Formats: sequence, C-alpha cells, structure tokens
Amino acid sequence: MTDGIEFAEPADEPRTHVTLRLVAQDPTVSGDDGRILTARVKVPWSRMEDGPRGARLHVVDYDTATGRYIKHAPLGKEDLYADAADDVLRTDPTFHAQHVYATAARTLALFETALGRRLPWGFRSHQLFLVPHAFAEANAYYSFEDRALLFGYVPPPDPGGDTIYTCLSHDVVVHETTHAVLDGLRSRFLEPSLPDQAAFHEGFADIVALLSVFSMRTVIEQALGKPDRSGRIPRSRVRPEALQKSMLARVAEQIGSVLTQGRGALRESALRPPPSDWAKQTAFLEPHRRGEVLVAIAFDLLIGIWVKRLDALFSGPNANAEGARGITVDRARAAEEGAKAATQLLTMLVRGLDYLPPVEFDFGDLLNAVLLADNEVVPDDDLGYRTLLHDRFTRAGIQRSTARVTDVLKSELPPHYLGINFAGLRSDRDEVFRFLWQNARRLDVDTEYYTVIESVLPTQRIGPDGLIVPESIATYVQMAEMTAREFTEQSGLELSRVIDPRTPVQLFGGGTLIFDQFGRLKLHIHKPLDDWRRQQRRLDHLAATGHLDAKQRLGFSSGAARGQTFAELHRTEQSSGEEW
Amino acid sequence: MSAPIRVRVRMYQVGFGDCFLVSIEYDGALEDGRTERHILIDFGTSRPPRDGMAGGRMADVAALIEKHTGGVLDVLVVTHRHRDHLRGFEVDAAAEIMRRLAPRLVVRSWTEDPELSATADGPGLAASPADPPNGLSRASVRYAALLAQTQARAAKLTGLVGLDDEVRAAAEDQLENAEAVALLDELSRDRRGRYVHAGMESGIEDVVPGVRATVLGPPTVDQDPRVAKQREEDSEYWLTALDASLRVIGSAADAGADAAAPASHGPGPVHWLIDRLANQRSHSVARLVRDLDDALNNTSIILLLEVEGLSMLFPGDAQIENWRHTLERLPDEPQLRRRLAAIDLYKVGHHGSRNATPRSLHVLWKGRTADLPRLTAMVSTRQGVHGMDDGAVPKPQLIAALREVGDLYSTDELGDEEWIELEADAARGPFRLVPLVRPGP
Repeated sequence: MTDGIEFAEPADEPRTHVTLRLVAQDPTVSGDDGRILTARVKVPWSRMEDGPRGARLHVVDYDTATGRYIKHAPLGKEDLYADAADDVLRTDPTFHAQHVYATAARTLALFETALGRRLPWGFRSHQLFLVPHAFAEANAYYSFEDRALLFGYVPPPDPGGDTIYTCLSHDVVVHETTHAVLDGLRSRFLEPSLPDQAAFHEGFADIVALLSVFSMRTVIEQALGKPDRSGRIPRSRVRPEALQKSMLARVAEQIGSVLTQGRGALRESALRPPPSDWAKQTAFLEPHRRGEVLVAIAFDLLIGIWVKRLDALFSGPNANAEGARGITVDRARAAEEGAKAATQLLTMLVRGLDYLPPVEFDFGDLLNAVLLADNEVVPDDDLGYRTLLHDRFTRAGIQRSTARVTDVLKSELPPHYLGINFAGLRSDRDEVFRFLWQNARRLDVDTEYYTVIESVLPTQRIGPDGLIVPESIATYVQMAEMTAREFTEQSGLELSRVIDPRTPVQLFGGGTLIFDQFGRLKLHIHKPLDDWRRQQRRLDHLAATGHLDAKQRLGFSSGAARGQTFAELHRTEQSSGEEW
Repeated sequence: MSAPIRVRVRMYQVGFGDCFLVSIEYDGALEDGRTERHILIDFGTSRPPRDGMAGGRMADVAALIEKHTGGVLDVLVVTHRHRDHLRGFEVDAAAEIMRRLAPRLVVRSWTEDPELSATADGPGLAASPADPPNGLSRASVRYAALLAQTQARAAKLTGLVGLDDEVRAAAEDQLENAEAVALLDELSRDRRGRYVHAGMESGIEDVVPGVRATVLGPPTVDQDPRVAKQREEDSEYWLTALDASLRVIGSAADAGADAAAPASHGPGPVHWLIDRLANQRSHSVARLVRDLDDALNNTSIILLLEVEGLSMLFPGDAQIENWRHTLERLPDEPQLRRRLAAIDLYKVGHHGSRNATPRSLHVLWKGRTADLPRLTAMVSTRQGVHGMDDGAVPKPQLIAALREVGDLYSTDELGDEEWIELEADAARGPFRLVPLVRPGP
C-alpha cells in the first residue's frame, strides 16, 4: 500500500452476491436425508455493518416481550451455517438474523430484476428494519410506521420445549417483504376501497410467497417423491393432475402452518379453485379469502407452464401417449423445469405491477397489466403464456377491469408536447403535471378535481430485439370531497339508505402514464374519478362493511396513519362477512 | 294448570355490563302458591354508568332484584365468566342478597363445571382422570382447563410495567373473578347447577312452567372442533400458543425487565426503532388479551326463551364463532330459521360490539313479514369504554341497523333511572315500555 488512497474494503470481499443456505420451507419440512430441507441461494450483497445491516435492509434483533437485544455480526462472504446441524438452524438467533436478511434480500432483488430498477420503500428511509424475534406471538406483519417487518415466535407449551419461529418460515418472510415492496409501489392500495384492492395486497403477497417456495428446486424435488436408483421418476408423476395433487399435498399444505391466528401466510385452501359463485359470497369480501382467488389462479398457471416446459423433456411427447408406461424422467430435471416455471411466472406477474392503476384496483386490472407488460417484452407469445393467463382468469370468473386503457400512440388526438422537456418526463413530477395539464382534455382527465402526480420513475426493460429500452412510468391521483347528497346530485345515482345524506365522502381516481424511450406517452391506464357507477359501488360497499371513520366520514384517505392495518388484516378472517 | 299471561323484562343500569330479569306472570297460582317466576340473566359490571360513580352500585341493583322478585329467584343464568357479567357476585352486600334469593337452578356454560377440573388430564393437571360429566370428551375438558389456565396468566399482565392504560384495562377485564365464581359454585351445590352446551336441556322448563328454553350455544369442542382449533390446524394449538405467549410476557414482568436500566443502543436507527417497538409490545399484548377475551365470550350461553306466543333471544357475549354453530344449521332447518326470524325481543349481543350480532340474523329480521309484531332490542352498554373507530362498542352501524328493524332501548340513554322495564302479553308481542313511576316524595 502506497501513501495516498487507502481502500477501506479488502479487495477480495464479495461484491454483488453471496451464496447462503436458507430453510427452504420451514423447519418442519425435511428432505431425503431426514434433515431440515434447505436450499443454497444467491443473495444480493452490499457493504455490511452490524445487525446485519446492508444498503436496503437492517436486522434489529430486539424482543419486545423480554427486552433482549442482540447485535449480530455482519454477513461475511463465507456462510457460517453452510453445514450447520438442524438444531443450530432451529435455535441460533444469529442464523435467524441471517435467514431473515437473506430471504428478504432475495425477494427485493426479484422485484427489482423484474421491473428493471431500484424500488423505493413506502416510507422515507432506504432501509427496511427486519425484526426476527419481535414478540412472543404467532403473528408477523409489515409495520409502516416502524418501517419494519416484525416476526413473532411461539413459545412452547412447556418451558423446555421447542419454540416456533416465524422468521424461519420462507413463505412468511417473503409474504411480509412483498407487503413492504407493494406499499412502496402502490401506496394508495391501502386506502378504503372496493374489496378487490384490499384483497390484492394479501393475494399478491401469497402468490410471491408460493412461487418463491417453488423457485427452489430442492422443494419440488421432495414433492415429486423418491426417485429410482438412477434418479428418475415415472412420467405419471408429472402429468398435470398428478402435479397438481402432489404439489398441493406436499408443498402447499406445509406452507403457512406456523401462523394460526395471524394469517401472514398462505393457506393450503388458497390453492383450490374458488367456488364458481365466489364473487357473490359474503365470505369472499374478507381480504384474505378474496385474495386466495388470485392465488388459486397463480397455482393453476404454474402447473400449466410447468407442464408446457416438461413436454420438451420427452422425446415425441405424442407418440403412444396412452401406453407410456415405463417412461421415466430425471427428477432433478423435472424439478428444475418447475423452478424455472415458477421464476418465469413470478417475473411475468411482477412486471405487470408497473401497469397497474395507482388507485381503485380491481382484479381485472392485474390481468390487463400483466398482458400489457408481457406484450411489450415478448410480443410473439409463442409459448402461449398469455392465452393461458387470459384463460385462467376468465375461468375464475374475473370481470374485465373498469380501467380505461388507451394506446395513446394510436389515438386520433395525440397529446401535445410543446414546451415539455423530454428529460423532465423521466424524473420530474412538475414536468409530468405540466404535460397532464396541457393535455387534460385529450387524455379525458377532468382537472376540476384535485390532481397530483404521485411518482415518476425511470425503468428499463429488455426489448424483443435484446436491447435495453428505457421508459418511464408516472402515476397521478385525483381526489374529490363532497357529501353523500352532493354525490347523488352530481351523479344522478342513489346511494344505499344506510348512508346519511350529510355524510362527507371522499372519492378517488387516477391513472398510470407510460412514456416510451422518446418521451412520448405510450399508454394511459385510467380510472376516471367520474366513473360514478364505480364510486357508487365503492361507497355502498364501504358503508355496508362499516368503514365510517371516527369523524363519521366515508371513504377518506387514511393517509399515513395506517396504524395497525396489517396486524389487523392478518386477524380478521374468522368472522368473515358477519361483522359490522 | 296456570298459564303465563304476561312477560316482563327489566334491564338494570349497571354501566358496562349485563343484568336482565325476565319475569313471567301467570293467570293463577302455581304449585307453590306464587303467580310468577323469575329468571335472572347475568349480574355484572366492569365500568360504572358514569365516571366517578361508586363501585358499590351492584348492591343497590341486588336490592332492586330482591324487590322485583319478591325475594324468590327461580333461575339464575350466568352466560359466561367475564366480570361484566358476574362482578356483582363479588360485592359482599350483593352476594348476601343472592344467597337469600337462593335460585333453584343455576345455569352456566359447560366450561364452568367444577367437576371438569377433576377430570382434566391436560398440561400440568392431575393425572388419572375420571370420566368427564355430561358426555363431554377429553378434548372439551382440556379446552376448558386450558382456558382457565390462560385466564390466570392474563391476570399477571396487569402488573406489567410500561403497559398502555387501555391494554392494562383490557387485561383486567380477563381477571378470574375467583370470589364470584366461588359464590356461584356455592349456589350451584345440591345439584342445583346445570352446565349447558348447544342442544342440551337447561332444566329451566321444570322450574318455570310454560316456558320453552332452547340452548343454541356454546358448542363443545366435540360439537364444533373449530372452537378449539380456531382454524384447521391441530387442535388446541392456538390456545396453547396463546397460553405460552402470556407465560413468556408474564415472566418478563416478574423479572422486572422494564425496571432495569435500558441498555444504550447508540444514537443510530436502532435506538429509534427500539423506542418505537415499545408500542408494538402493547399492541402484541392487546392482541393476545383480545384473543382470550374472544375465547371467553364464545363460551357464552345463547338462550332462546319462548313463552306462549312470545320469544326472546339472550346471547350473552357470544361472537360469530359461537353463533356459527347455529347459523350453519339454518339452511337445513327452516323451523329454527323461522323461530329466530320471529323473535320479539333481542338482547343485543356483547354490548353492541361489531362481531356479536351476525349479519345473517339481521337479514332474517329485515325480511320479517308485516303480520309479525315489531321487534324490540335491548342493549346494555356504555359508549367510549371499549374500542374506537372500527372496533367501537357499541358499533354505530349495528345500532343504526337495529333501529331499522325494530325499537331499541339502551342503558346509554338512561338518566338517573335505575332500570328499563318492558312488558308484553304472553299471547303475542310486541314488548312495550313500562313508564317508570317515580316514588312520591
């Protein structure tokens, strides 16, 4: 080392990723060797401090029940637990800290990779706290105010027994991390709304948890059952019905078993197709139950894509298909295709998030968004994934979105760009507002209502020719306040009789604007504020489910004071539909 | 044979709590020469009617009951063991009156049977159990034992340092009320006690002629395994987990973890977070306490009393989980559905909380035909004691919805009156308000 510049970091420190061992599902699930089923996964790495604490995540091992605080050492490039015994994994708080850090980091990375940019948290800090032993309670949730994911643990009935840690359940950690990521992407999805929107947070978190579990090959291998001596399994085990059954029985049923009252995690029932009249059942007004409709679709899609991918493994898949006895397939290869299918589906779904409206979400929006996004990336759809997607959503009875999607490039009245700064459209909220203002009529946005640009984010994706395409995504929100009587006058629609005409109500509308690499508006996904029928449904629903706030107002933004939203959400399920 | 001619229901002002006296008057003398029978349903309070009011009011209420029953109580029903339903039995002067009233029948939930503890083989309990009474299974017995043990743990939380006042008050509501229970056990001696579950004979018919008493809840663990499981996971898990959680938090209280000087966490974000997490501890305790609260509420007796052409529904604090057992019968039992739809009087469940009056019941009442007498609802409650916003008790939406389908009387609207009295002809409703005649000077 010469005088002058001194490098703080040793040159051999890992720079982008480390490989760490994770509990693949939860400690009750064991592999062929009878030990806890684990997987080695690549985890994004940044400079580390005590905690462990990296650029985006900060583990604080503080137990509110006992007051215990442990400061763990930073993660190094070597995995200290690569060969650790099961008991160590189960009980060592340092491993728990590493586990929760690695799982959350992997989840965040998955979103960032799919969307092609860094994702902000929903609060004004760059680091999300992870508290692996937050309280002695079978519960885990995202706390916006504390900028934290809190994971509880369940002490044993007898003081000498085994504690159950929610931070060791892969699906629980992924589910909660997804809540935090979604909140950063679409903060308005927690506003009082029609039931689909509340269900989306839960449903999507469950989907990511499910697909994340399936993206680990070891899990699928176990679920496919024991192979013969050469590592092969009969073809009958990878037929669609067989896969559906074995994955349900051996993977899904294990998922979420650690949380009882708190439903921070997936339930096996989520994967069974919902009854055909689910939309009419009051039980499906409850967010978790309703979210499970989306999860069932995702599971169905996963099997569909996996089966398509498996076809290639059989030479002449149609040759003598019925009499295919004795045909076998390599278990590791079959599992790998499953893991790839899970990753692919997850990427596809996450990519759609940018194309969602910022407010007033309904299930149809997800289908719309995923189809739009996928169309940009894979215009041909030669594998038929989009057809599959469309088919499964329709089969589940998901209504068409109430959003108006305009392909602006093809519209008869294209927007004006006079006086608009191209670079500003990629980064500046005021510039985007100016654009919206200038083109309000052409975009059919009524600026009589309060209008605000909420986010402007540059994004990058790989185009069909393999080159990087820079785009930018802006969202705007509109709000209006009036009394129930004024609503009726304005809209000509009657509200439910339980709403007092003097009740103050707040209405939301808004849209997502997608600008292409030339700064031209390409897509406009619009939830008009003056879609009075939607507003009527929303207000009636909120009144019927008892969502008047403390000031006896209906539908008002809960702002930053979202309180224990998630802690509560994870508990409400039992009395579904019967409450006031 | 004398027949009922009139039914009178008195709702006493106990603040936040329940105390109802159902009196049935007959057209002639019964075998003991009296012309009336009295059923007291609950006798508790957790908050006085107004702040600063003396806690000793239950003795006054007991004196009123003695007067209104003429000194003889036929049936005592204690829906469940929360103090807003039995606190009065702990007040010495009131207890004395209750002993004098000497109810001939004391009806409590199956979970309250003192014989259960002798038959329990649950964790930490005596071995070599005898056969459980009333045909209960071991699972039911264990559930009841665990519930009692958990309640004892919750009591400890009241001593936790640095706990939010509201959470502490909620924990105090779970206290065991040992004295009250002891008195009830005493009153239940000599085979006067009955411990009922859904579908069981209550014994009320034998004591009060002309009455049909149907026990709709609580279900035992055998009748509805979801009681113990709460969810699909292995049985007892959630209550065991709850109990263990309370043990850990409680022992931290013993160790005085909070009394120790707080460790320094430096000036960084860790400090910020740990400060904030104190709130999360309160939230966590609040959730645990509420789970226990729910579980105890769900041991409530749901009693349907039918006298000639009148019917009255007293569901205690039963929440949806308890009600579910009955609600699920409705599609296949049109008869039961009709009976519930046609009730004349509804004691509003759980002081008007959001999850104790199932919406499906309200739907039944909304669909009542015009030839039925108007429904009357009675709610004993006090605003601003429990919950805010969504969790407010009583819940404004529910109150509004009840007013939509019938007349509602609430203790919250009382001035200094000591009770609200309704009466109806036994042949047919509706119930009418009996104006209170103030004693002359």
